[in-house]
Amino acid sequence: MEKMIIINGEKYQIDVDSNMPLLWFLRDRLEITGTKFGCGAGLCGACTVHVDGVATRACVTPVGALADKKVTTIEGLSVDGDHPLQKAWVENNVPQCGYCQAGQIMNAASFLQQNPTPSSDEIDNAMQGNICRCGTYQRIKKAIADAADELAKEVS
Amino acid sequence: MSIANESRRKFLKASTLATGGLAISIHLPAHAIAFSDNAQESTFSPNAFIHIQDNGDVLIYCGRCEMGQGINTALPAAVADEMDADWQKVTVKQADGNEEKYGPQATGGSASIRVMLTPMREAGASAKVMLIAAAAKVWNVEPSTCHAQKHAVYHQASGKKLSYGELASLAAKQTVPETVTLKAKKDFNYIGKFIPNQNIEQIIKGQLTYGVDTKLPGLKYAAIVHCPVLGGKLKSLNDKDARAIKGVIDVVVIDRLAIPYGSIGGVAVVADNSWTAQQAVKKLNIDWDLGENAHYDTKKYKAQLVKNVEAPAQLVTERGNLTEGLTNAAKTLKATYTGGHLVHAPMEPNASVVWVKDDSCEVWAATQSPADIQKVLAQFLGREAKDIEVHVTMSGGAFGRKFKCDYVHEAAAISQKINAPVQLTWTREEDTKTGYYHSINAQHIEAGIDEQGNIKGWLHRVAFPSIGTLFNPAQIRPSDGDFSAVDNYPYGIENFRSESGEAKAHTRIGWYRAVYAIFYGFSFSSFTDELAYLAGKDPLTYLNQLYDNNTNPDQQEQAARSKHVVNLAAKKAGWFERDKLPKNQAIGLAVHYSFQSYVAMAVRVEVNDEDIKVLQVDSAIDCGQVLNVNGATAQMEGAVVMGMGLALRTEVTFREGAVVNTNFHNYPVMRINEMPQVNVHIVDSEHPSTGLGEPGVAPFAPALSNAVFAASGKRYRDIPFKPMSV
Ligand code: FES
Ligand code: FES
Repeated sequence: MEKMIIINGEKYQIDVDSNMPLLWFLRDRLEITGTKFGCGAGLCGACTVHVDGVATRACVTPVGALADKKVTTIEGLSVDGDHPLQKAWVENNVPQCGYCQAGQIMNAASFLQQNPTPSSDEIDNAMQGNICRCGTYQRIKKAIADAADELAKEVS
Repeated sequence: MSIANESRRKFLKASTLATGGLAISIHLPAHAIAFSDNAQESTFSPNAFIHIQDNGDVLIYCGRCEMGQGINTALPAAVADEMDADWQKVTVKQADGNEEKYGPQATGGSASIRVMLTPMREAGASAKVMLIAAAAKVWNVEPSTCHAQKHAVYHQASGKKLSYGELASLAAKQTVPETVTLKAKKDFNYIGKFIPNQNIEQIIKGQLTYGVDTKLPGLKYAAIVHCPVLGGKLKSLNDKDARAIKGVIDVVVIDRLAIPYGSIGGVAVVADNSWTAQQAVKKLNIDWDLGENAHYDTKKYKAQLVKNVEAPAQLVTERGNLTEGLTNAAKTLKATYTGGHLVHAPMEPNASVVWVKDDSCEVWAATQSPADIQKVLAQFLGREAKDIEVHVTMSGGAFGRKFKCDYVHEAAAISQKINAPVQLTWTREEDTKTGYYHSINAQHIEAGIDEQGNIKGWLHRVAFPSIGTLFNPAQIRPSDGDFSAVDNYPYGIENFRSESGEAKAHTRIGWYRAVYAIFYGFSFSSFTDELAYLAGKDPLTYLNQLYDNNTNPDQQEQAARSKHVVNLAAKKAGWFERDKLPKNQAIGLAVHYSFQSYVAMAVRVEVNDEDIKVLQVDSAIDCGQVLNVNGATAQMEGAVVMGMGLALRTEVTFREGAVVNTNFHNYPVMRINEMPQVNVHIVDSEHPSTGLGEPGVAPFAPALSNAVFAASGKRYRDIPFKPMSV
């Protein structure tokens, strides 16, 4: 039977070696390139996507293990770049080169799902797997805190 | 496009767009390299374009390469300001590699603003004059009775208005002004304001394309392993296991191309996706002949550099009488400072797509210097540089690494062999192990002071493998030119001597963000702090004394501006209330002038035994008239992150000729949980604008070192302070 995977709401056939990491299935097979390669070893977070809503390092996740799973990449996080985190990223002018930012936003989105009212230390803990070599950490932290406040307002 | 008008200054050209509208081109020296300021001396040729369409849309080409430093926001916004254009109607496009057309594109040395700002502003101002002239003609009035504002021209008396779109084609027929007056500070709309990164919407949606993202029909993917030692050669290769992997297309041996920025040599595997290529590279059975650098060991080498600077070395500069100065001094002090190799490690590793055909060669690359790609590929392929077409993509960080196009040369070699477009993406491991490293270094300073602490003599010996070795492998010590920051340090030292110690290169050395300022900033600001304690003065009072007593007429501006930023940083950091801090906390100061900008940092730390926690950084900058407050602030925040990594932990270690570090677990760059609060203070300055991509990195390490000393009495003279053992 053919194995299928759902990416940003679309069904795709897993027609590659099942050991191929999701990152390369996305980037080279499907040519969905918003998810980035930084280290290939789970060390930098540049490749972070959601698998069934949970932040996952695509570079160390074999695509064969994701049959019938729902994957969300930065391209599918929101309809029009209007996720509260994306808005907070614009508001706080977070990116410099931007290369790490898809991973940062995806990691933060999954984190806020689990912890909508994080403390400063909790943000640090959750985000320390995501490297930004340009050094945008201060703004990332502020943007996550702002987005959390925004989400809290939406809920109340 | 036909040339309609040309100013007698041969500086600006106006023409009519094929689609209607005005195009302005600037003539700029094409050959001014990024690291020189005397741009005027070269020949003139047409440069970056401003296009105004009939619908009012403005397109500004950015000839300089964008890697996160924000040049493609700062420069175009300044043009828009001079034009009185509406920034919302401006689109910025990255120009292809073409120095004939866009002027010098090599993006490094924090030089883009220094070299490009004035001509770009003049182009914008000229466009405005021509738009006003066009409107005046329509209304049959004097241009002086009209003015421009937010994308339109107005006639005060009659209240008439014509938009830039309506005027564009007519404006193209007006005479290019001989001279233009640039706006005064009070009239700025965008210069000096807070302007968002113009790529931000694409970035947050994952739509911006980088060097790794180019896709073409029939694209093949390659991975590579390099010869681990500079100068080594392939002895034998067995690629049977690699070729047996499904999806592998070919194995390509790439010979070392011994010209600057050519490949060090390696073996590549081509496959139908990057992952397969990476897996197959691991299956290659390679035996290298490691050659003459096989014994390079950074621990031993650093110890040798220390010896070389603690003994007499080759004279570079001498002023006054050093021996007399030191002999007559009330007190003397000696110290040796050292630092290790660094690798740039941008988040996007080296990557490009190249398609070599019989009659063409097309490149899509994350690069800082498209002209160097043209030069290297022309030489490799035996073609003309102009026949190499280079599309510059966004760089996912670069920090100096992507100035060197060895990775593009390799992609070209592979494409030529397999006759197809190839994307070569280096793995993180290759990126770490095959760099152009920041120099390992040692400096020895001996100084004497009088009873008041005034400097009576200063000896400064330096040894590091120079970047010059890339171009002249026979160079075995820093060149005299490498000493300019040392010889001209703004303390007005009369009895002075600088000496260059032997330091042969055993690996490739390259520009790394802030370059030599990293270790010069460290030695000068650390040693000055040590002298302050020797003189029994607090470090800020002492620094002010040195600047105030500087009578060297050539150093007055440097001294005054350095003094201003360091006092600003100190004040903002709470320097004068620092006696209220807990016992284990302290503030350290440092200031460094580099790339014609001034940056001071005040770093507050908490020290508990061996544990150093950075709590707050106040950074004060004087970069002349700041262009974009957002970009300038971001550069300083980022510089603290990079400065902190290199001060505390990151170091590239060589053993048996090869780099030992491989990935982020053993090249531990800073992460979010260790970051201090960073406050950036920008001096309101009327001086000419200067760049900020690099200058922020230098002052962090010495400010931290000085803070740790103040808090704990422990003096760190070797960076990184706490290297990870690998
Ligand atoms: S690329 Fe996946 S964690 Fe770095
Ligand atoms: S913005 Fe460049 S790596 Fe994070």
